Parts: sequence; C-alpha cells; structure tokens
Amino acid sequence: MYQLSDQQITFILDDIRRNGIELEDLQLNLLDHICCIIEQELEENGDFEHFYRKTITRFYKNELGEIEEEANYLLQFKHYYAMKKTMLVSGVTSVSMLSFGLILKFLHMPGAAVLMVLGIALFSFLFLPLMMVLKLKEKTERTDKLLVVLAVFSAITMTLGILFKVMFWPGANMLSIVALLNLLFVFLPFYFYNGLRKPETKTNTAISGMLILTGCGLILTLLRAPHSSRAMAVVDTKNYVQDEQLLNKEYQLIKQSSPTAQAWKDPAAGKIYKLCADIKQYVVHLETGVNSIGDDFEAQGLTIGETRVDHYIGETPDVAQNWEALQTLINEYNKRNVSTSISSTIFDAREVRTKEALHGLIRIQRAVLANEMGR
Amino acid sequence: MIYSSELIKGTLKTIIMKLLDDNGRMYGYEITQRVKELTAGKIQLTEGALYPTLHALEAEGILTTETEYIGKRVRKYYTLSKQGKAKSAEKINEFADFLNTMKFLLDIKTDIA
Repeated sequence: MYQLSDQQITFILDDIRRNGIELEDLQLNLLDHICCIIEQELEENGDFEHFYRKTITRFYKNELGEIEEEANYLLQFKHYYAMKKTMLVSGVTSVSMLSFGLILKFLHMPGAAVLMVLGIALFSFLFLPLMMVLKLKEKTERTDKLLVVLAVFSAITMTLGILFKVMFWPGANMLSIVALLNLLFVFLPFYFYNGLRKPETKTNTAISGMLILTGCGLILTLLRAPHSSRAMAVVDTKNYVQDEQLLNKEYQLIKQSSPTAQAWKDPAAGKIYKLCADIKQYVVHLETGVNSIGDDFEAQGLTIGETRVDHYIGETPDVAQNWEALQTLINEYNKRNVSTSISSTIFDAREVRTKEALHGLIRIQRAVLANEMGR
Repeated sequence: MIYSSELIKGTLKTIIMKLLDDNGRMYGYEITQRVKELTAGKIQLTEGALYPTLHALEAEGILTTETEYIGKRVRKYYTLSKQGKAKSAEKINEFADFLNTMKFLLDIKTDIA
C-alpha cells in the first residue's frame, strides 16, 4: 500500500483545479477518490507521478472538466422539473381562476373582478414567462430562441391589453396595438421565414401561420374601421347639435311666456342650468378646439368623438369644482319634491365619454326647464 | 462481459440508492468498489458518471452528506435521507417492472427453470 505525502495530495488537488473542476465539493470528492485508488493499487515504492497521470485518464473521455459539466447539467435538469411543475400548476390555477371569475361575473356575484385580474396576472407574469424559459432551454438555434421571445412578448402584451381594457385602466389600447403589430409585422414574417425554409417544419409553419392570421383577423373584424368611426361621429354630432338647438328653443319659449322674462322662478334651477352650460362648453372645446359647434360642423371638420372626458374634468380644477357643485345642487334640488326629478346617471358612470357627457348635461337642463314650465 | 455505459446510465441512481439503503453511509470510491465486487467486475462505475449523479441526488434531497478529515484530505460520506428511502423502494419496483416488460418485449427465455 502506497503512502501519499501531503505534498502529493496538494499536487493532485492543484491539478484537478487546473483542469477545470471549480465546484469545491467535486474537487474534494475526486481528490479522495484518486487518493484511494493510488493507495490501493500502487506498490509501496511505485512511481507516483506516472501512476497518477495514467489513473486520471480513466475519469474522462476528452478532459476532466466534463465531470463538472455533467454535474451542472444534472443540477439544471432538477430545476427544469421544478419549473415545469410550477408552470403547469400556475397554468391550471390561472385558467381556473379566470373561468370561475367569468362564471361569477355572469351570475353578477362578488369576487368576479378579483378572480379575473388575479387569473390573468398569474397567466401573464408566471405561466407565460416560465413557458418561455423552458422553451428557450429546449431550443438550440438562436433564431428559434428569438421566435419564442417574440411570441411570448406578444401573448403577454395581448392578455394585459385585454385585462386593462376590462378594468378601465389607462394604456389598454396601446398594449393591444403593440401586441398586434408585433405579432403581425415582427413575429409572423420571421416565423414564416424561419419555418418555411426547412422541409420538416414547412407544413406546421403554414398551418400555425394561418391560425395566427385568422385569429388576428377575427380580432380586427370586431374592431370598428376608421370610416365607420367617422360616420358614427358625424351622426353623434348631428344628434348633439339638434339636441342643443331644441334646448335653446325650449329655453326661449319659457322665457317669453314668463312675465318676469329674465329671472328664473327657482334660483337653484338657474344655477344648475348655467353650470351645465359651462361644463358642456368645456367638453366641446376639449373635443373640437372651439367653444360651440353648429350645423356646419361637418364642413369645418368638427365632430365629437369618444374621448374619455372624466379624467380631464377631474384634473382641471375649476371644471372639477363645477362638476362637484352641480352634483350637490342636483341632490338638493331633487329633495325639494319637484315634479320632474333630475336623473344624474353620468355622475355614477365608471367612465364618461364626450357623447354621454353632453347628452347627460342636456337632459339635466331639459328636466330643469320642464319644472320651470310647470310652476 | 462488461456492460456498456449506456446501459448503466439509466440505472445508476437505482444502484446508488440501493447500496446506500443496505450499507448506511458510503463514500464514492467505496461505492465503485462495492459494485465491482458484487457484480464480479461486470459493472464498473466510472467516476465521470458517479460524481455528477451523487451531486444531483444530493441537490434533490435524496442524499444527505457528512464530511470527515482523512489527514490532509476530506472524505464525503453519503446517506439516504428519509425521502430517499421511500424513493429507493419506488425506483427498485419501477426497475423490476421494467425488467419484466423488457423480458417480454425482447422475448428473453430465462434460464431459471
């Protein structure tokens, strides 16, 4: 039995380190193993260095570093399984949450929004990224890896776009547009280019490409074309202009029939009427850039659209003040047992767009006028 | 006949777990020697396969380790964890089942009368 000196042990350890074994655990294991072999197999007065050189070659095919590579590979493999499991669990959870949330939504029961938001968030921020990491590990070619990243990016922006849309959060349209543009003009061309070149992926690429295109096409079918939007805006504006003219006519008639031509019988009614007119003017200005629009709106290119005005109202101090004052006045007004009470649904709406705002304010004014007429 | 490394690779974990189940704690060199002894040299574990597998099993929580100083060097002893003991039985059952399937699949006539 050979007796190893401390010097020889240090020599072996240095040699193992020099040859690409960096994990300390592995260094110590290999050191002990080689020492055991030498002690068992080398004669007492044998040639240490020669025997060591010969022995170490048994450990590998090309180089010693292979052992560390293999160890790292197996360790990653373990993470691979854990990730796969997490991905599956998060996928099932998010789909269940979303489905259950939808059921609650249609049954009009509480908890629907929370479940839906959590489900979509889990899907976008855990399931999809994990799927991407796992797919990236499977793919070896750089172009394939890039495709996976592009696809997952599209999917995340698209799901988030829909989530933002249903939650009325800002940026929803931007997210959806980015998702669609990326899918149609970056991912798809690249996907086709990459897949159609190889005979083995040709058919699959063509089929999935068609499915993706049809999917995007169906989404776009649901959207309104710019031409229709313009036509609708013209109709809405026409309605608004006419409503405004009718209102003015009613106002004139009442004032003429009244002996005290200028003053309102109920001062609060006058205040409400004036506040509505001010806010309407602000909204019209916000949308068109002018204070009022008439019959020639189309020629001048001034139409009212679907801008959300509640944010603007809330953020402009004097308008916000008017908006609040109007609510208080209406509440007090309705309490006074008037014959036509004012409906104020625009104050309760989650989002107010130009059309609804103008329409709602005119309705308030007409209710006030109707009451004046009855006095 | 010495078996090819491809054949051994799939059963390496099972072999290690069974040996540790029977013998308590063992270190790497001891494992290779014991396998050689038990199989009359037919199965020779290579260092390049053994240590990566031991590391992976440790990371999975199947093996626990303790270290001992032997002069200037350190020896790492491996023991089956509680989870590893259950897994060991499971692995052996799986392999027995696999053996039966292979026997049937490859139409091997066993020489046991």
